[in-house]
Amino acid sequence: MAQNVTNVSQTEEVSSTRRVIAASSVGTLIEWYDFYIFGTLAKIISEQFFPKDNPTAALLATLATFAAGFVIRPFGALFFGRLGDLIGRKYTFLVTLVIMGGSTFAIGLVPGYKTIGFFAPAIVFALRLLQGLALGGEYGGAATYVAEHSPAGQRGFWTSFIQTTATLGLFLALGVILLVRQTLGVETFSDWGWRIPFILSSLLVGVSVFIRMRMSESPMFVKMKKEGKTSANPLAESFKKKDNLKMVLIALLGATAGQGVVWYTGQFYALSFLQNACNVEFVQSNMIISIALLIGTPFFIVFGALSDKIGRKYIMMAGMLIAVLSYKPIYQMMYDSANLKNKIEVVEKTTVETKEAVKGTDTVTTTVTKKTFADGTTFKETKKLTVPLDEAKKAELAAKDKLKPETKKEVTLPQDLYYKMIGYVLIQVIFVTMVYGPIAAFLVEIFPTRIRYTSMSLPYHIGNGVFGGLVPLISTRLVEATRPAPGLPPADPLAGLMYPILIASVSFVIGMLYISNKTNNMDVE
Amino acid sequence: MSAIKKLFGILWSLMGIGIIPLVIMQAMKEIAAKPSEENWIFWSIVIVVLMPIISFSLITFGVFALKGEYDVLE
Repeated sequence: MAQNVTNVSQTEEVSSTRRVIAASSVGTLIEWYDFYIFGTLAKIISEQFFPKDNPTAALLATLATFAAGFVIRPFGALFFGRLGDLIGRKYTFLVTLVIMGGSTFAIGLVPGYKTIGFFAPAIVFALRLLQGLALGGEYGGAATYVAEHSPAGQRGFWTSFIQTTATLGLFLALGVILLVRQTLGVETFSDWGWRIPFILSSLLVGVSVFIRMRMSESPMFVKMKKEGKTSANPLAESFKKKDNLKMVLIALLGATAGQGVVWYTGQFYALSFLQNACNVEFVQSNMIISIALLIGTPFFIVFGALSDKIGRKYIMMAGMLIAVLSYKPIYQMMYDSANLKNKIEVVEKTTVETKEAVKGTDTVTTTVTKKTFADGTTFKETKKLTVPLDEAKKAELAAKDKLKPETKKEVTLPQDLYYKMIGYVLIQVIFVTMVYGPIAAFLVEIFPTRIRYTSMSLPYHIGNGVFGGLVPLISTRLVEATRPAPGLPPADPLAGLMYPILIASVSFVIGMLYISNKTNNMDVE
Repeated sequence: MSAIKKLFGILWSLMGIGIIPLVIMQAMKEIAAKPSEENWIFWSIVIVVLMPIISFSLITFGVFALKGEYDVLE
């Protein structure tokens, strides 16, 4: 009889933990989705909201906005972390979800630069900041909430479901974007269809808010509140007290900084490298990333669960070390797979088509060159030259050396190279799962309950938002620095890897030397 | 192990201090060579956001390590 009661109680506990995981994960996944659609559509957003006179400046402005979205995250971590330690986890991460959903929905409705001028980028910038702020508060809340519901000894396993949401959120964002783009066609998508993924967010957030409203507060927080042990000033307690500050620093330098760059390299830089350095066609490059993410995602749970058995430290450190050692060879192989210089052209299949049309006050000449290679790779180059009909304007642009065609290069890989490329990205996703799978459990366990939300959120968002979030900006810049002249290919397309390799190396050494491999029981203190 | 942790503490602090002139000099050099909007934005982000975080955290962490604050974490 007693045995039956124990079994029923255990089953109820597992079932309740599952409900907590599902409700928390869905909301966090949607927040990541909201956050990623902006980054994935950076190019279109730059065309819609930033002046077109200088495309590089427009793209950089978007990247800066992207970075702002990341850089603001630590502030969200502080603001909402403090709130979560004062009033509770449940209401705080409900508020972050509503802010995120609202700002994403609003981005989808903002009129373009052509319609409202400077207000367009200003509003988008403000909304992007709100997104960053909300995300800063969300993750720490979800991880803390799940960890505080999880049985001791299984925290790595249960929190790893929260860890899958960042990757699944990206997967969902890529999937929705590809689906809408394929359904509407490229032109309509670039015109207004890109707004759909943003607007769709309101529906997803609505469902998630409904689910979260029905959840109960974290049992550890409730107990602590009942005993009057909550912190009166979580910020001061987290960052002014030496004993806690030293843990914040070790979490940042020994874990989250390295984890952040490994994560962003494996998921975002890989996509950017495929599209910009390898010129792999838009749909194919996104499919490569999506498939690799989908196959790799279960490993978050594998490594999360494994960390319950052998400790968090060595799994995270192994992920960093292998990433540092293998990034260059992996990216070299990716580059070689798509490099047309290594391929034999089937000259008889080459076609060149030129079309000329008058659009408004300009003549637009489009030249499309298609090439086929012996291994099945196809290459398409589209050159679009816009020349004003007005002779004076034409002469003025020619004098400024601005009469240059816009060039778009697209490489479509054959089946075998496509699978190889998925393999190269998948290896990087595995590194991501090693460093990221156990990290939520690691972070929640090194801080006491009364200031956990605040203390764990800050190093997480500095590591991921600042160190990781700046990977695309800094790596692109490092590659650009090796370009001998505008229009020529960079001398070292792998130069961008220097930044993640350096940060992950330092993080590895610090982590190995100073982080303990022991996990704690995370009692209310 | 404690001695190594302390010794490395000096290294982290020196790295945190050394990074400041290194980044500022590189920024000045690149902006002087090409004072474009791109350069200004990029170096502003590095100097205002990234550099202070790296320097402050490395210096403080190094000092803590040197004082033996992390010796108990085994």
